[in-house]
Amino acid sequence: MSFRIDNASLTHANGFAALAGISFAAAAGEQVAVIGPSGAGKTTLLRLLGAALRPSAGGVELLGADPWALPAGELRRLRARIGVVHQAPPLPQRQRVVTAVLAGRLGSWPLWKSLASLLYPQDIAGAHEALARLDLGERVFDRCDRISGGQLQRVGLARVLYQRPQLVLADEPVSALDPTLARQTVRALTADAAARGATLVASLHAVDLALAEFPRIVGVRDGRIAFDLPTAAVSEGLLCALYAGECADAAALPTLANEPRFAAHAVEAGVARRGACA
Amino acid sequence: MEAAAWQRDPAARGRATALLLGLAVLWPLLQMAEFRPAAIFAAQNLHAVGGFLAGFLPPATGPEFLGYLLRATLETLAIATAGVALAFVIAVPLALLTTRALAAAEIGPGPGLCRARWLQHALRALLTVLRGIPELVWALLFVRVFGLGPAAGVLALALTYGGMLAKVYAEILESGDTRPARAILEAGGGRLPALLYGLLPGAAQELTSYTAYRWECALRASVVMGFVGAGGLGQLMDQAMKMLNGGEAATILLTFLLLVLAADALSGFLRQRLGAAGTRGGVAGIGATGYALGLLGAAAAAASFAWLDLGLGALLTRESARLIGDFVAAFLAPDLSLPWLARVGYGLIETLAISAVGTLLAVAGGLALALPASGRYGAPAGRLTRFGLNALRSVPELVWATVTVLAVGLGPFAGALALALHTAGVLGRLFAEALQNAPPTPRDALLDAGARPAAAFLYGTLPEVAPQFVAYTLYRWEMNIRMAAILGFVGAGGLGQLLYYALSLFHYAQASTVIAAMLLLSVVVDAASAALRRRL
Repeated sequence: MSFRIDNASLTHANGFAALAGISFAAAAGEQVAVIGPSGAGKTTLLRLLGAALRPSAGGVELLGADPWALPAGELRRLRARIGVVHQAPPLPQRQRVVTAVLAGRLGSWPLWKSLASLLYPQDIAGAHEALARLDLGERVFDRCDRISGGQLQRVGLARVLYQRPQLVLADEPVSALDPTLARQTVRALTADAAARGATLVASLHAVDLALAEFPRIVGVRDGRIAFDLPTAAVSEGLLCALYAGECADAAALPTLANEPRFAAHAVEAGVARRGACA
Repeated sequence: MEAAAWQRDPAARGRATALLLGLAVLWPLLQMAEFRPAAIFAAQNLHAVGGFLAGFLPPATGPEFLGYLLRATLETLAIATAGVALAFVIAVPLALLTTRALAAAEIGPGPGLCRARWLQHALRALLTVLRGIPELVWALLFVRVFGLGPAAGVLALALTYGGMLAKVYAEILESGDTRPARAILEAGGGRLPALLYGLLPGAAQELTSYTAYRWECALRASVVMGFVGAGGLGQLMDQAMKMLNGGEAATILLTFLLLVLAADALSGFLRQRLGAAGTRGGVAGIGATGYALGLLGAAAAAASFAWLDLGLGALLTRESARLIGDFVAAFLAPDLSLPWLARVGYGLIETLAISAVGTLLAVAGGLALALPASGRYGAPAGRLTRFGLNALRSVPELVWATVTVLAVGLGPFAGALALALHTAGVLGRLFAEALQNAPPTPRDALLDAGARPAAAFLYGTLPEVAPQFVAYTLYRWEMNIRMAAILGFVGAGGLGQLLYYALSLFHYAQASTVIAAMLLLSVVVDAASAALRRRL
């Protein structure tokens, strides 16, 4: 078992209930896509799995431990085994790409190595290898404010590839990428997780991408799990119910893009298109 | 295949060179500043400082003295407020004309570009002259024209601070997002609408914060100027020191500490209110509270002018015009004889060394204090360090120098230490504010990935604040160069010693050379720091 959430709820300080009684588990090596309309609680769910938020009620078990029962040092070591890809890459503007990627292993490096790496990057080859898997090898010594938003998002991904965590949590990891690159990048993520036997949970905006690349889909709506099924069992009806508000005014389900060249693929993947819910 | 370009860090060679160069420059500077920390702990020096500080106890509390103290305190407040108000009036138009963020002629480039650039260069040169000459030197000069009293202090503050405010206002306007203003200019809007709608919403908070901070600096400066006869707490302090009345000196210092603490609280309150008002919107990001505060500031300035009764009208009489004319004429013929130039040259380098060593020590101290002051180690530690920082910076450099001269003997090292003590307080506070304002997400992401707090700080927070730290440090260094010149007045070496002798002997030609050297220094540092900032 990679992680397990038991009937967990999370109410923010302002009284907003972001998650209400969620139960969710995955075995080691599983790959799960989380989909749902904006504000459904996808990000909160991932932050719960990353031990960044403590549930107001219910239990969380991550990589065989209850994070909130651990002493500080143990919690830190547990977090070093979890990698989070943030939707807005949390990288300092003036940091160089190589430093930003190497920062992925700060949790496992001894402090002297973290310090030395600021003077001279301690693992240029490792950072380059992670970046090269995302087609960014030549950007290794550029500064983060000198690259595009899409490149920056992939630098954030490269950091997690370099971290080599046992549990990868990706929050809208490809939201700033064009459709082709988004697909390639998600494949790099799934391939990495598969090769290392790591568990991968990704929240995705594009439903077709989720259906095409992940074997298990979790639909989240209003802070609850609407469905949790193998991809083959996800029907158009379920998707329409999940995105009900958006289907009602005849808009399409969120996909990578609405251009015709993607339509064929969308049909293949069993995604309802414009007007299908009317 | 070429040996993959990514295998070596291309920046490594440059970094190593910079490090070696830095050490090569620092070593002679340390020598010139007579850097010898052991002197602080020599038994004889510890004894002298102990004796001096023991004289401070108990602080004087006689009712007559307290009456004088209250009057002097009000006068100091009024001098600082009136000085900053005049400085503001000078600075705003100069900042609008010199900032690149509102350079309408640069668009295109449009017509009149050449003339606009010349005007900018001329005005920037004027700013450099204004703030390149320390307020204490202006005060010394004005005292000779207006006689003893607050008028000299107010005008000296107005000129030096006008130059400083204009420069920093222009930089703040440039450092934010300038695209909204540019869009307005490109759409045919004027400079003022572009400022109000495009720049102020983003910059109002920082501008207010900086002005409030400058007002605090003016409080300290007005005390120092009291030493040359420009009124207020400084004049009282000067008398107490001359009569070796440690108890009175202690009470005055305590009053001063309270004054700076109150000013700090006020500036914090202003920033908070303005920030809250900003979220509510309104024209130029200034809500109703902002306007109320502006009115309050204007009222305070008007009250200060009324209370001081400066009699600036005297400036306009024929007699004083002749006096000023004669005085200026005496300065127009500097002494350029070779021996004097050589002495000024050495004084120049010594001043530079004092300021550099003092600033570096202050950066180390300021960083060490900023970490707890930003609240990283809990609220009680934060409050305690912030109090310590306030105490350090509320004592003017010149007053610190009277102590450090006792602690390590006459000479440049005393000057460097005095600068370090005061500047550590200033930089520590600025660093702490930058740390508090730094975006938390990069650090939090690293903490969530199991990084140690120290590593998360170095990788997540430091890159965000480093440019600000460097900018603050360079700017303080610039100020310290001017201050290092003044510290010579109490025997801490540098150009100040030369200027002090020349002025007390009425050798205006020689004094003029020294003032020119100070200006030169300021211009060179200005250019160097601007060049550095562009590269960061």
